Amino acid sequence: MPESRINQRVIYNATIERIVEHNLVTRSLYLRLPADTHFTFIPGQFISVAITLGGETRVRPYTIASCPHDDGPLEIVFNLVPGGAGSEYLFRRQVGDQLSFTGPFGLFTLERPPEVETIFAALETAIAPIRPMLQRALDGPCSAPLRLFYGARDRSQLLYVQEFEAAAKRHSNFTFETVIEEPAVSTGPGRRLFERLQHLFVDGDQRRDRAFYLCGVGQPVLDLRDLLRQAGYARRAVQYERW
Amino acid sequence: MAKLRVMFESGEPERIIEFSPSKAPFQHDGQPGSILDVLLGHGIPLEHACGGNCACTTCHVIVKKGFDRLSQAEEREEDLLDRAPGLTPTSRLGCQAVIEDEDAEIEVVVPRYTINQQVADSR
Repeated sequence: MPESRINQRVIYNATIERIVEHNLVTRSLYLRLPADTHFTFIPGQFISVAITLGGETRVRPYTIASCPHDDGPLEIVFNLVPGGAGSEYLFRRQVGDQLSFTGPFGLFTLERPPEVETIFAALETAIAPIRPMLQRALDGPCSAPLRLFYGARDRSQLLYVQEFEAAAKRHSNFTFETVIEEPAVSTGPGRRLFERLQHLFVDGDQRRDRAFYLCGVGQPVLDLRDLLRQAGYARRAVQYERW
Repeated sequence: MAKLRVMFESGEPERIIEFSPSKAPFQHDGQPGSILDVLLGHGIPLEHACGGNCACTTCHVIVKKGFDRLSQAEEREEDLLDRAPGLTPTSRLGCQAVIEDEDAEIEVVVPRYTINQQVADSR
């Protein structure tokens, strides 16, 4: 059972069961909860991890990259941010260490398979909420076209590519496309993803009946939001999360 | 000096903070000089599950006085607030509402519940 409640929030204590290094600066931690702990979430939600630094406890959000019906450990994936207290703390964790968190939180979610063509777009580790959303959509009775556009500065920053490629082979309604930002210096992060979506879904036709789920760090995801809403897509059809 | 009065629907005693907005940030979460920043920096907890990154509604506050003395809400904040329980015309996210004026007098109520807690309670 959860060990304690503070301000009516359940605090969960998990053990780091496994650590996967995707590249030099990107890791996944797999968090195993005690067998008798009940924890559910909606694809796209995050947990709020307690980070203890110099006697002070801060909370930092980490999106759950695994799917609710996996029944396995919770996966969180993150970059090492220079000077970032949370990511540096997590990079120092070892298998067997404990992590405390509350949650789930967040409103950037996909609860049921989409009924209209749905476009998912993410940059680098911001694929975390999109991955379980896609699994939820693909595992359900969904015939609507689902398209994932996954951007990164270079290919080493792409995660779960084989998994998405395999899913695209299994599901005729799902397509997967990577968008590499090279040369990132001249175009800025997310620029090519922006141009790709603009070409296909703004300039490409007059249809405005699609839904979008966008996730990224910083301004690029807000630029995408503005592009799509200003092009005539309904406000609620353009869901996004900006970290 | 700006003044921030905080009342809690949970029944905790109200608090009044006098501070200089020009000295922001007071700690490390939320927008510098935001209601969240001021509260945390003066030892008053306000939940902020996303770390003050405008990705949830756990720091939802209802502004009772001084709404027009706060920074204007951006679209991102409005999109989240739309889904906050107990939304009012003067609702703001504490992590985004910045107190800019040195002579501002702001009063806020911290609601008892947040949307995330409602999800938790319904499980």
